Amino acid sequence: MSKVPYILLVLGAVCLVAGSAAGLFYAPKEQYMGDVQRIMYVHVPTAWNWMLVVIYALICAIAFLFTSNYKWDARLEASLEVATLFAILLCCQGSIWAKPTWGVWWDWDPRLTSVAVLLFAFLGIVALRNFVDDPPRRAIWSSVATIIASVDLPIVYYSVKWWNSLHQQQSSPSTVSSQFHFPLRANAFGMLFLMIAFIMLRSRIAAARLENEIAPPLEAA
Amino acid sequence: MTGVITGGWNFVVAAYSITGVALIVYTVSLFTRSRHDHSH
Repeated sequence: MSKVPYILLVLGAVCLVAGSAAGLFYAPKEQYMGDVQRIMYVHVPTAWNWMLVVIYALICAIAFLFTSNYKWDARLEASLEVATLFAILLCCQGSIWAKPTWGVWWDWDPRLTSVAVLLFAFLGIVALRNFVDDPPRRAIWSSVATIIASVDLPIVYYSVKWWNSLHQQQSSPSTVSSQFHFPLRANAFGMLFLMIAFIMLRSRIAAARLENEIAPPLEAA
Repeated sequence: MTGVITGGWNFVVAAYSITGVALIVYTVSLFTRSRHDHSH
């Protein structure tokens, strides 16, 4: 069995520790938000990688519908679960950042609402997969549902541009001071490596279960 | 009122802790489920 996911797990952990240490102890305070801005170094990388995993789930869903290859269904199951984990993390980090800066834990602002819609849609698809025992039906239904839910992703991305939002516009190394670059980039790569490792490991679990479900029953001797 | 936020380390620690704990718990759950599948 490939050792790639284990190597990625270690690399991801190293990048996250280095990036978080730099973000917490080396990077200077932001002018207006002070130390609270340090939440950006985990929140923004989580958001970037959450968007990537949602796009990957969409690719898996489309690939399954075109090929009927269960390898894509296993990958879809993995990416749905990882996307849900990252969305929950994103909402928790965002709420914790919102309280000292906006004065509230949550606001029904376009960015937050569109992320919540996608989180609950993916939670629903994960639940659907657990309720349906028939592999072909489960794969087709969850692929179609993933494609429909993914329509929300461009709304999430452009919500801060299209509407008057409490949430700030997208942050990237080009929109923040150069002293903030290292922790942001290190944590982004850390989250990326972990995300890929999670998808690979979870896909193996899903593929093993599918193999058992699809394999013909053994005949009695 | 200066518009500058002071303090707030408790929020920073909470955000990093939740992230770290969630990632570690998920990693452990993957290994546990993987081992459980191989034992069947």
